[in-house]
This record gives sequence, C-alpha cells and structure tokens, in this order.
Amino acid sequence: MIKLFRTAAVAAVTALALAACGGGASNPSNVSPTGEIKPREISWLLSRPADGAVINIMKKLADDYAKDHPGFSLNLITTPDRPSYIQKLETLAAANKLPELFDTDATPFAQQLAKQGKMVDAEKLLKDLGVYDNYRPSALDYQRFDDGSLNMIPFQFELEFIWYNKALLQKAGVSVPKSLDDLPAMCTALRKAGITPIAIDGQDQWPLERYVAYQPFREAGPDFIQKLKKGEAKFSDPAGQKSVQWMEALGKAKCFQDGFSSQGYSDAQNQFTSGQAAMYNIGTWELPSLATDKLNPAVRDNTDFFTLPTTQGSVTAANEYVSPSGIGMAVNTKTYDPLVSDFLKFALVKYPSEYAATGALSPTTNVETAVPANATPLYKKALEKANDLGNEQAMPWDTQLDPTTNGRLQQELVLLVQGNITPEQFTSTMDNAVAQNAPKFFK
Amino acid sequence: MLPNRSRLSVLVFLLPPLLLYGAAVLFPILQSLVLSFFSWNGISDMEFVGLANYVRMFTGDDIFWRSFFNALGYLAICLVLQLGGALLVASLLTSLSRGRELIKTLYLLPAVISTVAIAFLFVRIYSIDPVGLLNQVLQWIGLGALERPWLSDINTVLAAVSVPEGWRFTGLYMLILYAALLSVPLELEEAARLDGASRWQLFTKIRFPHIRPVWITTTIMATTYGLRGFDIPYLMTNGGPGQSSELLTTYMYKTAFTSTDFGYASTISVFIVVECLAAVGLILFMLKRKADA
Amino acid sequence: MTAQAAPITRPVMTSPDSPPPLRRRRKPSLYGTLSKVLIALIVIVQVYPLAWLFITSLRTEQDFATGDPFALPKSLTWDNYARAFETGNLGMNILNSFIVTMGANLLIVLLGMMAAYALQVLGFRFSKVVRGLFLIGIIVPVQIALVPLFIDYSTINLLDTYPSMIIPLAGFALPMSIYLFSSFFNYIPRETYEAASLDGAGPYRIFGLITLPLSVNTVVTVVLVNSIFIWNDFIFANTFVLSEELKTIPLGLQNYIGAMGKTDWTATFAAVCVTITPLLLVFLVLNKAMIQGLESGATKG
Repeated sequence: MIKLFRTAAVAAVTALALAACGGGASNPSNVSPTGEIKPREISWLLSRPADGAVINIMKKLADDYAKDHPGFSLNLITTPDRPSYIQKLETLAAANKLPELFDTDATPFAQQLAKQGKMVDAEKLLKDLGVYDNYRPSALDYQRFDDGSLNMIPFQFELEFIWYNKALLQKAGVSVPKSLDDLPAMCTALRKAGITPIAIDGQDQWPLERYVAYQPFREAGPDFIQKLKKGEAKFSDPAGQKSVQWMEALGKAKCFQDGFSSQGYSDAQNQFTSGQAAMYNIGTWELPSLATDKLNPAVRDNTDFFTLPTTQGSVTAANEYVSPSGIGMAVNTKTYDPLVSDFLKFALVKYPSEYAATGALSPTTNVETAVPANATPLYKKALEKANDLGNEQAMPWDTQLDPTTNGRLQQELVLLVQGNITPEQFTSTMDNAVAQNAPKFFK
Repeated sequence: MLPNRSRLSVLVFLLPPLLLYGAAVLFPILQSLVLSFFSWNGISDMEFVGLANYVRMFTGDDIFWRSFFNALGYLAICLVLQLGGALLVASLLTSLSRGRELIKTLYLLPAVISTVAIAFLFVRIYSIDPVGLLNQVLQWIGLGALERPWLSDINTVLAAVSVPEGWRFTGLYMLILYAALLSVPLELEEAARLDGASRWQLFTKIRFPHIRPVWITTTIMATTYGLRGFDIPYLMTNGGPGQSSELLTTYMYKTAFTSTDFGYASTISVFIVVECLAAVGLILFMLKRKADA
Repeated sequence: MTAQAAPITRPVMTSPDSPPPLRRRRKPSLYGTLSKVLIALIVIVQVYPLAWLFITSLRTEQDFATGDPFALPKSLTWDNYARAFETGNLGMNILNSFIVTMGANLLIVLLGMMAAYALQVLGFRFSKVVRGLFLIGIIVPVQIALVPLFIDYSTINLLDTYPSMIIPLAGFALPMSIYLFSSFFNYIPRETYEAASLDGAGPYRIFGLITLPLSVNTVVTVVLVNSIFIWNDFIFANTFVLSEELKTIPLGLQNYIGAMGKTDWTATFAAVCVTITPLLLVFLVLNKAMIQGLESGATKG
C-alpha cells in the first residue's frame, strides 16, 4: 500500500513537472518565418459572441482563404462568458496547449506569457504586414503592456458613454453634469422625483469597477493605475481618496438601483430602455440596441449621451475617456509558421472593411463605418466621437490589476457603495491587498 | 463470502472499477496534495515552498476563515431544508391515501433543471427593483417591512443562496426517508397507540429510532453534498456582496482560476477534503453514540 | 425494462414499496386536512419553477424585458424557439450530451456493480480499506480534480475527446453507485448464492445469472440519478472540451451569451426547455422504477 502510494506520488510530481517545463523554442520577434506554406487546420481560442460580427467575418475570410489553400481551415473555439473563458485559457496555458491564436486582455497573466516568449511581437508583425499605420494609435495602446510592448491585435474599437433619458432628467429638474462631482447631487434629485438614477449591471462587476477609475483618471491621469497596481501609488493618496470618497457619495445618494449587485446585464439595460432609469453607462457595442429603431419607441426620442465629465483641475481633457479596443488576439510563438503568417496577412488586410460594413467601429482608420438604415441620428453622433479623441485613455482597471487584487476590489467596492464598510476600511483593505498580491505579478 | 470464489475472481471484479476511480479521483487528489507544497501560477516554474501555503491559510487569510464559516452556515441551512423538509413531507405523505406516486414524482422535478436556470430564476424571485416574487408575497401578507434586496443585503445573502440548493434536492431525500418510514412495522405502532402514545411520541419513540440507520446515510449524503455546494452561489452572487456568500469551494475555484495560484488553491482543496472527512466522522460518532445511549 | 417488472425482481425481505392500502384510512381529521394542504403547498413550490421556465420561454422579448416576470404573459410566441435553434446547434449538443451521459452511465453501472459484487458478495480481507477509499470520492468536491486532470490529459493526449468528460464524471459518480448496489445486493438472500454454488456455479456465472438480472431496478435508479447530474454538467465539459463538435448542452447554452455578458434570456429559456425535455421524458417514464430502486437502496442504511 505504502509502496503504491509512493509510486503514485512520484508519478504525480513527474506529470506536473512535465507540464510545467517545455515550451516555445521559437523566437517571438521572428515575424516572417520562411519556408513553404503547408495548409492545415489552425485554431483560435476566443471569447466573443458566437454569432457576432468578428466571428462571422473571420469565418468568411477563412473560407475564402481555404479556396486558394485547400486543406486550410480555421477552427473557432469561442467561450463568450468571460470568467469561463479565462479559466479555459489558464488551464490551456498551464498544460502548454495554447492554440495558434488566442484572445487575451493585457492582463498581468498575459504579460507573463509574453515574458516567456509565448506570444509573437504584434508590433513587428503588423509592421511586417504593412498594416501597422492603419491602426488607431489608441486601439493599439489599449492592447499594450506597461512597458509599451504590443502582443495582441485588436479587432474592435469602442467608446464608452453615459446614455441618459432627457425626459427623466427634466422631470427631476437636473441637467447633464458638468463635473464628475455633480453626480451625487444629481442622483439625490432624481431619487426625489422617484426615478432610478443609474442602471448598472452589478453581477458582472466590471461596470462598477469603471466608476472607481474615473476620478483618479481626471485627478492624476492614466499613470495612477499603473502605479497603484504595483503598490507605488495607494488608495490613501489624494487621488485614491477622492475616488473612494466619491464612490461612497454615489452610494449614499443611492445612484444605483436597489439590489444592483445581483442584477445582470440585461436587467440593467432593460431598466434604461423601459424608461425607469435615467442613466446607463455603456459602450458603442450597444449602438444596435440604443441608437436604432430597435429601441423602445417610448424612450427613443428622449435618449442622448454624454462623455465622461471632467472635474475642476482635471489633468485629462473632456475628449479623453474609456475607449477600449476589446479583447485582443495573441499569436502563439510555438505554432507560428508560414501558414499562420500568410493567413493573418490575408485576413488582417481584408478584415477592417468587412467589419466597418456591419456598422461597427474598426480598430483601423482606413475604412468608413456604415451607418445602418434603421439607425437614429445618435448612431452617427456616436461614431463621430471616434474622430475627436485625445491622446490619453482611461484604462479599465480590471485589465490592469493583478487578478487577486482585482477580485478583492470588485467585492469591496460593492460593500463600499452599499454602505457596509467605511471609506477607511476600504482604503486599508485595498492597500493591503495590493501590497500582498502585486509583488508576485509585477516582479 | 461466496464459497467458490478465487482470488483471481475478486481481482477481476475489483480491478477495473479501482483503475477508473484511481485515475479520475485518487490520483488527482494526490496531485493536489503534492501541489499544495508548491507555489505555481501555471506557466512559470514550480517552486517548493514547504508549509508556507498552509501557514498562510491558517494565519494570514481572512477570506479563508470567512468562507469556512460561510460554508458551515450554508451547510446548516441546506441540512435543515433537505433533511427537515424531507422528513416532514415524508411523514405527511404516509398519512395520505391517494396520489402518493404523483406527489413523489412532482417532488423530484426540480432536480432535473440545470443550475443556470435555477440561479436565474431565484435572482428574479429575490429581486426588489423590479419587485420580485418574494418581496411581493411579503407585501401581500402584510410583512412589507421585511422587504429587501435579499441578495444584496449582507445579512440575508447567505441564507438566500442556500435555499435554492436545499430546495433542489429535498425530493431525493424525501423519497429515501419515505421508504424507510414505510418499513416501520405496523404492529409496533399499533401497540404504542393502544398504550395511548401521542402522534409526537409515536414519532420520537417508534418511528425515528427505526429509521435511524437510513437517517445516518441521508445525513452523510446531504452533508457531503452541502460541503461540495458550488454552482448556485457562484452563479447567483459570485460570493458577494463582499465575501458574504463566499464558500470554500468558490474561493478555491477563484484562487485557482482567477488568481492562478494553483498551489494555494490545492492547499484549500486539501483542507476541504479533510474537512469533509472530519464532518462524516463526526456525524457517525454523534449518531452512533446517541443510538447506543 | 418497464416498471411492471419491478415487484418481481424485488427480493422479499421487507416490502416498503407496496404498503397495505388500508394502512391509515381513518375519518378525515384536522391533522389529515392540514397535512393535505401542506403537501399541496409544497408541491406548488416544487413544480412552479418548471412551469415558470416554460411560460417564460413563450414570452416575447419585449414583454420579458419590461413586464412583471411573474405575471402571466400578454401574448405567447414560439419565436424564442426559432431563435434558439438558429443561434445554437441544439441537435448536436443534445447528441453529445447523450453520448457522454450514456458512456458515463455504462461505466458507472457496470463498474459500480462489479465493485459492489466484489465488496459485498465475494468479500475479501481488505474490503474495509477499499470501501473507505471509495468513500473519499463521495466526499471530495469535484473542482479539485480540474487542474491535475487537465495536465494528465494533455500528457496522454486525451483532451477534447468524449472520454475526457466521461472518465471524471464516471469516476466521481462511482462511489455512490457502488453504495447503492452494495445495499441492494445485501437484500439478495445468502441462500440463493449458496444454492447456486452447490450447483457448481462460479463467481462469474453467479454474477451473470443471479446478481445482474435481479438488479434491474437499481440500475435504473443509478442511471437516472446520475443522468440528472451528468446531463447538466458544466465544469468538466467547459474545462476539457475545445471543439464546437463536442460541446454538450450546458456549453451550447453559452452561445446565447452576447457581447460583454448580454444574454438573450428568452431564447436561452427556450433552449433550456428543449434540452431538458429528453431527460424529463425518460424521467417520467422510468420514475417508478427509479423510486423503487432508491427506496430499496435506502431502507437498509
């Protein structure tokens, strides 16, 4: 029995060790491999809607490519639910089984993959394909790691706005806020008029996390989060405190719907589109439901949006806010060969025009987005904002912080906004969490 | 033991199941045990850290203890609902003369629905804005003062996520207990009734002692399933608000797959295994002693 | 096998499943009425969610978004079902779930029976140790096996196959199956075996000719109870399956999740209704046999 156990233990360690080592011998900066193009099946592990534009277009492009290269096929493995996707990506990475292409945000985990040379240098790749200059700088910046290196290719470009219902604001006697600091008072007025001020998807947690990023972005600029995540800046610093106090004020003014923490994405949107909530913070990926005739006729003409308000002494400008280019696509170094290279060249050149034709913003500037026939005037107005962006952008914190701190922040934020903990408790818990977890990820 | 059996025949029957079980269950547990002494994020090299993970778990991790006590609370509510509810319904059912089969079937139905749908349904039931079923019912019966966002209130959320889990499998345990209750010899009951025993006495003195062995089994089943609970809290609240509904299992899962701290997650796994073994031992010990007394 | 065969296969020890009809017929009392009301209430609580699920799957999207989710819908529509079939690949998902469920059940039943036979009928010196070993499987949470299994699978190239799902599902269900079979085998009188042994039957023949045919009800029980869990399993499928062609139902349901977590709920519910139908049908047809099997396993403790 004991002998059996010992054998098993040895086997266990061996199996784990086998999985842990091994890996890419290829060079991440070798972007134009030489040799013959041998068509085969390649896979793309992605986290995008199964029936969405990106997948449909890439499927079509892959089919076109296969016509000239018999034997080629693109296997799209999508897991739209982000937490499930991340779990899958991590297990695959742990087992050293990442496919040719895979999606990831510029997270600390991805950075570690990049450091181990597992992702092809995307900047070199795009330059080599001659498409680098087509990309919007901010779309690429969103994908970059802290050190400026680029390993992911964007397929989208989105702008986040605060959508609002003109009639409800009027009813409460308030107007569009000039400063972020106006928001709590605005919520109080709306509540007095019996209106839910802001509809928020609390279940998915990233929406609330956006709010904590706003004040520091205005107060201290994009550097704050870069420092905070490494423990070089703290929540107890002035910019951090301003954010903490503001979040508490939002909670006290009952800005979000009651019981928001357990309400999902659709619930929140329904509250806004049914005319119950006055404001709704969401990106241009929702244009088809907010700026076309699909929108409930009762609120259609009353709907408008404003961009992230500034504050007094704001170091960032009004045209600088959250403009993500979505989850990016990384290219696996280990399996990068002439075929992958050739297919990417084929697809990335043709992708933007196809994508813009669906009414979405392309991550490149060389194409014009088609406004759908059923769009309201807001659609065009929203698209035009993309041409008028500043140089800085507010990064969503969930892609920046190490995962453990991020999870803790999401949990503590809800407590702070609900008034279950004080700003002091919040500050010390979070600063401790960063101190404890950041060193492991940002060595 | 069968007289004509050979050693070989035992092996023939035992080896295949043991192989599957060893490969799918025992070996991974062993691997977890090994991993629990390492620090490993899945992609970099494994680093041996000795007992550091255990020290961190017991002394330096407030969330661990929080989830441990939450898991106990969750377990308690599930047990009350599953065992108490099952015993109640089973007893009631024995007094019914018709329609038992139908009720037994209906009672099992929730078990077939996927947890995703159950979680979504209960989120609606607990909701306050728009008003959900629970708050509406409270309003109707004049308990409007109790209305609240059940899943956002840190005082009610643990109970709120436990109830669906308890509710789902009540039917299963009810069936088992019901069968046991039917096996109570009629003569015993009749004799006690003639002696003037009340319904309650009948239950505590005759019926319950008779079904005790089955009761032990069901308690063990319900306890271990309760300690394994995962889907519903994970889907409904993801452990929140704060850590109010974080269980050891959800915390372990997040540590592994969100924080990519596989070593530490394995340490928590080992703790869960030990905890479950201890719980079963405790139940056996308590119930056996009571039976002997 | 149909439920009619059930009473015959049950060995006569105690007979919990066929209570004497006159058992508790007394004049209606307060207690009786009260318990009937209580039972009715509880049944409503148990059945309501399923009804709600079905009704919601017939609501229009607009009605679902804006109306009271618990009121009766203003109008009914089958559009959600059309969308459900359009978006997902329900047929294939159901087929995959079927293959996985059947495969796992085959292993669970066959191996469970064999182990129980070895433990309960044949018996051997270390049977207590082996029993204890199997008990661990009832106890530990399945999540702990994910990472190790994933690594093991990738070293032996078993990822993204049916067995990768079937093996852990069967492995973790095996202990409960062994337990149910053991307690059932306990009912089969020793004399039956001894008589067969005297006739010269060896352990294999006894297994094939006596144990196996007698266990039909328990088999049904084990299959149904496990099918419930396996049919809805998400965690193993999500971890080990990569290709579209192998996705089971719970993974297929994920296709209804759109950008940033926006979900088409009415279509999802329609899909849920479609996907639980096979399970529900089997369940309704076989439930009598299952209940009997459960009960026979239970009364011994």
